[in-house]
Amino acid sequence: MKTQINSSEGQKDYMRKAKLHKIFISFSRVLVFVGFLALWQTASSLKWIDSFYFSSPYAIAKLFVHDIHDMSLLSHIGVTLIESGISFLLIIIFAVIAASFFWFYPSLGKMFEPFLIVLNSLPKSALAPLIIVWLGTGPRTVILCGMSVGIFGCILNLYQAFEQTDAERLKLIETLGGNKLQKYTKVVFPQNIPTFISLAKVNIGLALVGVIIGEFLAGRQGLGYLIIYGSQVFKLDMVILSIVILCVIAMLLYGILNLLNRKVIARWQ
Amino acid sequence: MKDSRPFLRLKHVTFSYYSVTGETQALEDINFSVQKGSFVVLVGPSGCGKSTILSLISGLIKPVSGDITFYSEDFAAPRIGYMLQHDHLLEWRSVYRNIMLGLEINKIKTAENLAFIDELLEKYHLSNVKDLKPSALSGGMRQRIALIRTLALRPDLLLLDEPFSALDYQTRLSVSKDVYDIIKSEGKTAILVTHDISEAVAMADTVIMLTKPPCSVKGIIPIEFEKYGITRDEVRNSKLFQQYFDEIWGEMKNENTN
Ligand SMILES: Nc1ncnc2c1ncn2[C@@H]1O[C@H](COP(=O)(O)OP(=O)(O)O)[C@@H](O)[C@H]1O
Ligand SMILES: [Mg+2]
Repeated sequence: MKTQINSSEGQKDYMRKAKLHKIFISFSRVLVFVGFLALWQTASSLKWIDSFYFSSPYAIAKLFVHDIHDMSLLSHIGVTLIESGISFLLIIIFAVIAASFFWFYPSLGKMFEPFLIVLNSLPKSALAPLIIVWLGTGPRTVILCGMSVGIFGCILNLYQAFEQTDAERLKLIETLGGNKLQKYTKVVFPQNIPTFISLAKVNIGLALVGVIIGEFLAGRQGLGYLIIYGSQVFKLDMVILSIVILCVIAMLLYGILNLLNRKVIARWQ
Repeated sequence: MKDSRPFLRLKHVTFSYYSVTGETQALEDINFSVQKGSFVVLVGPSGCGKSTILSLISGLIKPVSGDITFYSEDFAAPRIGYMLQHDHLLEWRSVYRNIMLGLEINKIKTAENLAFIDELLEKYHLSNVKDLKPSALSGGMRQRIALIRTLALRPDLLLLDEPFSALDYQTRLSVSKDVYDIIKSEGKTAILVTHDISEAVAMADTVIMLTKPPCSVKGIIPIEFEKYGITRDEVRNSKLFQQYFDEIWGEMKNENTN
């Protein structure tokens, strides 16, 4: 039992200090960001750096407003988001199916485990050219590239988590008259929901990485395509704007999954 | 009048675990029987094969040789409730949904069975915790819930594998008394495993002493407080308790030294 005494002076003092510290941290983060933008803008305005290569916050903002209005930027963002989303969903679906299959048929699991380990330790961008040869350019290739980065690790981790289910808990299901399917549905799967969420957290990022690689090599649309195209025609404002947008997307995705994670963890303890 | 035919009989039961590192002969020659409605306690050193005996009786594993026979009036297979050493309450389910686990698995979530669960919770003063998460419960409370989960399937025979060993001494005394009362008032036949001799004496109608592995039955002692008018609430203070304790202790002390 937690005893809560909110009235004591010591506690009040501590809470005040803790709150101040939190405000200080948030404030200094904003300060770092604004300071960086200001330094960058000043450096490019005063010609300390060449704004042709390094762009400037103002130029990027201007380009953003302009490109948002003619819709082209939005459609590129949309393409990257959709391709990442599809890659991510496919990774998750395949991983759950494969890991579950391996759990139901452990001999199969043992058979495929070493191959998964090898594939997982491969630098995944090495697969991309092969995928292009097989499927040509276009969204299919990009989505497959997106999947190729995370999928092997995801299957492997999920399978290993399933494997580590406490044998006594499985025995409990047996004592209640349950079969293997019920061990899976009542214990193995629900017990690993938190594993699942943390894998999702990692793999949404990996899907984005893979999709950008795919768009570099085989895209005709999307932020990865914009970055490559921009760098080839020396429109570096466009390159940096795309990178900034990627940062924002990554941050938002991370935020969403973190929220989901906290909700699930609260329920699963 | 007491039914003299046993409810369950183990005859020349042997069992071995096989693995790549070799064979472990767990049970050598196990013989005992259990009367309907009785409370049998198995005591023995740890690792002697007590859990193995319960797993055999429950049918989760089959003996290498020997017979395990149930005798019932209607020749129906008996329902067996098996309570493992740890409660294994699933942390993502509420207490109530943990209790329902057995009904879900057997697809018997009937109105009648749900009412039975409510009745058990009510009777043993646990209704107020049914919507909580298991993590909010004390160790003793968790064991009571695990017992209700087992009782929800209305077993004819209850197997209890060191259900109190994870509890501290004070809790252990009160929870073991509660569990005893619940089992007796539900009129269940029970086999409990423990390595705690005083727990065995306090709860048993019959104590079965087991040897160190490979395990066989060393002796069977009927515990007869009722014959001397001593109720189970006061046994621990009686002289007879000390006598039983000393008798079992004397027999078992050779088994604990290797
Ligand atoms: N799954 C298993 N595989 C191999 N040996 C086992 C297994 N389970 C138990 N044993 C061995 O069998 C013996 C009896 O185990 P157990 O019945 O769990 O003893 P107890 O419950 O009395 O502590 C021990 O020596 C133990 O090491
Ligand atoms: Mg044991």
